[in-house]
Amino acid sequence: MAEKNLTENLTPTADYISHHLTNLTYGWCEKSQTWGFAYHQQNIFKETSCKVSEMGFWSFHLDTIFMSTFLGLIFFGFFGLVLVGAKKGVPGKVQNFAEFVFEFISGAVKSNFHGTSKIIGPLAFASCVWILSWNLMDLLPVEMTNFFGANLVNSEGASYVGYFKVLPTADVNAPLALALVVMFFVTYYTIANHGLGGFLKEFINPIELVGYFSKHVALALRLYGNLFAGEMIFILIGIMFGQFLLSFGQTLWFIPGLMMNLVWALFHILIIALQAYIFMMLTIAYINLACAKH
Amino acid sequence: MNVNATFFAELIAFCIFIFITYRYLWPSFSNILEARQEEISEGLEAASQSQRKLEEANEESRKLVEDAKSEASTLIAQAGSRGDQIVDEAKNQAVEEQKKIKDSAEADIEQNITKAKEGLREEVAALVIAGAEQILNKEVDESSNKDIVDALIKEL
Repeated sequence: MAEKNLTENLTPTADYISHHLTNLTYGWCEKSQTWGFAYHQQNIFKETSCKVSEMGFWSFHLDTIFMSTFLGLIFFGFFGLVLVGAKKGVPGKVQNFAEFVFEFISGAVKSNFHGTSKIIGPLAFASCVWILSWNLMDLLPVEMTNFFGANLVNSEGASYVGYFKVLPTADVNAPLALALVVMFFVTYYTIANHGLGGFLKEFINPIELVGYFSKHVALALRLYGNLFAGEMIFILIGIMFGQFLLSFGQTLWFIPGLMMNLVWALFHILIIALQAYIFMMLTIAYINLACAKH
Repeated sequence: MNVNATFFAELIAFCIFIFITYRYLWPSFSNILEARQEEISEGLEAASQSQRKLEEANEESRKLVEDAKSEASTLIAQAGSRGDQIVDEAKNQAVEEQKKIKDSAEADIEQNITKAKEGLREEVAALVIAGAEQILNKEVDESSNKDIVDALIKEL
């Protein structure tokens, strides 16, 4: 895989990129027959642990799991706290904002979903809010996020891990998990509304089966690809101006870098919100199709 | 892009968040907004009702003012005509009174005149008799000549 090549090629640029795009991984190491962290390029424990690419399926991206859960707790906690202190009368500013988000999502559900379902609203809300909370992490400066990883050290004090990918959306596992849940509900509603026969009848033409899976995989990959590319461009801007700084040795070179980062960040705000919105709308549309009479 | 067991962790986390939304967030938001909607529609209803009431009250007050105005104008007209009537009556009375006074004064004057005439006649009669006595130098029997004297007096 490309990642493997990047990891083995130790030119500074490739090293920088692969470092930014590698997750903090904890998993089963085949080589040493132990559970442990995947090591960093500069790691001194190469004999006793695995590289990220050497780990098999049974490994966990701790940064993705931590960040996604943490952000989910913050964002859903925010809505929960608003509701705890909610007034029925004139709402405050915070409550007003939370209600605006809720009304926006429930409005999208109402105008695009014509069946009866109690789960589709919460599903749309959870996916939109959660994805948005992930995507916002893309606006954190690329260098800042690896700071956490670099400071995770082992008992000997050596930098044992070195990776910390702050953006859960740029790890394909997270969008895939969301898409699988969507696929589950689409299947459930197809069977509930048209019966098992109706569901199977869709696949008389076997190409439909490909479409059925690719639809949901595309749902995940669209989200993943957009945010991964966005992150990549931030990294490339970082490299570009890092190189300028090294070549010309003038500190003021950070100013154009800052400007370019700013421009891309401003543009990226659109992508961040748009991808969360698209995921939500497609979820609603797919479930609406599953409920629709043929 | 490596799919691994992280997938399951995310799956579980997503299911938990969906459940939280389904169980707590979504219903409470719906309840709050529905309650507010109801409240607002009630408020609007009440506002339109009171608007209607206000209009009715305005209409009523306008009518009252109009009635009062027309009543006042009729009263004023009545008062004016009554005043005219009183003035007329007073005038008539005054004229009558004047006439009465004038009449009585005239009657008085008439009486006085006749009285004076009477007096004058008697005096003239006396004077005539005295003159005749002097002319005749003798006493004339007053009673025998009375007819003549009376005739004379009448001629005066």
